[in-house]
Amino acid sequence: MALLQISEPGQSTAPHQHKLAVGIDLGTTNSLVASLKSGLAQTIADENGDHLLPSVVQFLGKTDDGYHTHIGFEAQNNAISDPLNTISSAKRYMGRGLDDIKKHSLYKFVTDENSVVPRIQTIAGNVSAIEVSAEILKKLKQRAEEALGDELTGAVITVPAYFDDAQRQATKDAAKLANLKVLRLINEPTAAAVAYGLDTGSEGNHVIYDLGGGTFDISILKLTKGVFEVLSTAGDSALGGDDLDHVITDWMLAEANIIDPNASLLRTVLDAARQAKETLSQQDMTELSIDLGEGKLWQGELSLEKFEQLIKPLIRKTLIPCRRALRDANLEIEDIQDIVMVGGSTRVPLVRQMVGEFFDTEPLVDIDPDKVVAIGAARQADVLVGNKSDEDMLLLDVTPLSLGLETMGGLAEKVIHRNTTIPVARAQEFTTFKDGQTAMAIHVVQGERELISDCRSLARFELRGIPPMVAGAARIRVTFQIDADGLLSVSAREETSGVESKIQVKPSYGLSDGEIESMLKESFSHAQDDIDARKLREEQVEAKRVVEALLAALEEDGKTLLSAKEQSIIYQEISELSQFAEGSDRRAIKLKIEHVDKATSDFAQRRMDASINLALAGKKVDDIGSDS
Amino acid sequence: MNNIKERHPDNYFSLLGVDIRFNINTQKLTENYHALQRSVHPDKFANASDRERRLSVQQAAHINDALHTLKNPTQRAIYLLSLYDIELSEHNKSIDPAFLMDQMVLRESLSQVADKSDPFAELETILVDVNAKIKDTLAELESLFQDILSNTESSDVNNKELLLKQATASVLKMQFLNRLQEECLNKEEDLADQL
Repeated sequence: MALLQISEPGQSTAPHQHKLAVGIDLGTTNSLVASLKSGLAQTIADENGDHLLPSVVQFLGKTDDGYHTHIGFEAQNNAISDPLNTISSAKRYMGRGLDDIKKHSLYKFVTDENSVVPRIQTIAGNVSAIEVSAEILKKLKQRAEEALGDELTGAVITVPAYFDDAQRQATKDAAKLANLKVLRLINEPTAAAVAYGLDTGSEGNHVIYDLGGGTFDISILKLTKGVFEVLSTAGDSALGGDDLDHVITDWMLAEANIIDPNASLLRTVLDAARQAKETLSQQDMTELSIDLGEGKLWQGELSLEKFEQLIKPLIRKTLIPCRRALRDANLEIEDIQDIVMVGGSTRVPLVRQMVGEFFDTEPLVDIDPDKVVAIGAARQADVLVGNKSDEDMLLLDVTPLSLGLETMGGLAEKVIHRNTTIPVARAQEFTTFKDGQTAMAIHVVQGERELISDCRSLARFELRGIPPMVAGAARIRVTFQIDADGLLSVSAREETSGVESKIQVKPSYGLSDGEIESMLKESFSHAQDDIDARKLREEQVEAKRVVEALLAALEEDGKTLLSAKEQSIIYQEISELSQFAEGSDRRAIKLKIEHVDKATSDFAQRRMDASINLALAGKKVDDIGSDS
Repeated sequence: MNNIKERHPDNYFSLLGVDIRFNINTQKLTENYHALQRSVHPDKFANASDRERRLSVQQAAHINDALHTLKNPTQRAIYLLSLYDIELSEHNKSIDPAFLMDQMVLRESLSQVADKSDPFAELETILVDVNAKIKDTLAELESLFQDILSNTESSDVNNKELLLKQATASVLKMQFLNRLQEECLNKEEDLADQL
């Protein structure tokens, strides 16, 4: 029987084997990695016992297999002496164009004709924020693999809920460069809710107020029997603790009469400002002193009162999204059970005070606000790889921003509204406006405003080959799909002729597939053999994954959903695929996977239908004989 | 009575396991929605084959769409009408002129709110009025759909046509009111932001 042929030694298909998966909080200021250890999610420390990894990368030069870098504390310590090669807060530049990132940036950004992604000039060449993030991810991956003693199956990476499509795509690209399989991108506040909710098991409406280093999110979730349903989310993807530092910095520069500081001095003042912010979370007053060079020293002091006066407008700015999230969730302040504070910046007492006053509730700070996101992500990662630790848990998240298309007159027509539960697919029909028009330009935008110029441009593509018709006769159906990672794909189809065009939205400021490919090549010692070997391995892993998935499916549903003949055909396919996976012909493996995919499509559909029927089995009774 | 179900066996109500009616059992709706998502959500298929993962995204999106439609009363009413092959048109003339007049007056006062001595109180008055009208229209829809859905094949076809027409008019009113309500809330946000 075919089944026997695949149970070879060394090729584990055991369904309950524990897989290593981690949660990664890729933060603006600090990053963390966490994993589940005997049922308990914990952050992983480095060899010095530090859990936080400062999201700072110092570029020292280029090597055969990538960049020579310092990452974390070491880089942070060198930031003043080597400010232009030491990149911090790279997250703020992810998925952003040159115009967006010039403000408050220490670095020299350039773009070249081969790429739309802005890059920072360093001694190691021009590096994009995506590559900086990839370096941080590599470091965290290495830390986790050393601590856990084996290769990772994958990771859940958290992103601010308010990240748009371009920022999410950039994060996924960074993981790709770091050779890290992304199980899922999840929203930071949702991860925090998981960390809190699972421990306390409290049902009801919860507000997660997440003020990080560079981003602000507010999410309102409803927790019911393990289901975390995000009702609404709002925020500002360019507002965080960094901005508090900047207002203090500006104040200090003015007080010390420093005009036009150089990069090193600016770095010094920024560090002093951050230090002052942290001190003022504990004390009423802090002493300041700045070495101006040439033996000159500026000394001053900052009182808590002055500090709060400086930052108050910024904190008030976070209350606007709070109000909007409440409204979108269709809730009043009385309906909120509690407020969870997340992100290092919520240590500032004024933040807690103002948020507490707004929601009329004392905010919760039980879990370390720095670690809570990584811990929640680790739990979700464990569920996704199938370790069944929190099997009943289900996250239902939303898309933070409306998605639409440009229509006549530069207006945005919304196709998917903000706070729609994902995954989601929506279609809208459009028509031609000129007689004989054979092509249509499709411009995808994200944002809430009516004018295209006020929204973020995500992508442009063209539907060509529309048969000539009179104006208004063509029926062009544009379908938006957002997957569980919050990433968008768009397809367009002319209904009368069937002409079709489909794109995975590649954001306007994203890396192209070609760029990612060539970056990956560079990190593999240039040798073609290495790249081929890696690609072969990837395909082999994929083949084995398919085999495992199918065996599990057959074990579960084979007997009930398939005839004996159908079963034996699939077992035959599995057996053949396993043999291919042992071989070294990458193309052949790929083709075989595609073949198996087609051969099992009926089975997949039947399984899906069966699980839907099963979900409501016994629940439909009152549908009969009712008043409808 | 179940002719809708026969004509539309895969309607959203059946998918989510609730009765086909306007006055929906929201608790059951949510419970069933969660049960369905637990079985089809992409998170449950993270290790499955590509095809199963694609199917799962499609199914989860379909179920989300069904919930979204049934949860919102206006969307639910539009959907119910669509099961009777009634598509709403922007140019529908079946709206009562007195209602339109009333809407214009409300809109007018909304646009002048910011100039009043107490704009929030003024806005609140408008909002209370709009919300009351929404409540009335919902009651209208509830009663109309009860009659429509209990109407059996043998009963008066003309009467059913009339009821559906009335329901369509009420839905159009709801759309007006919802838009006005949203504008009120937008205005409130604008005012609050300026504080």
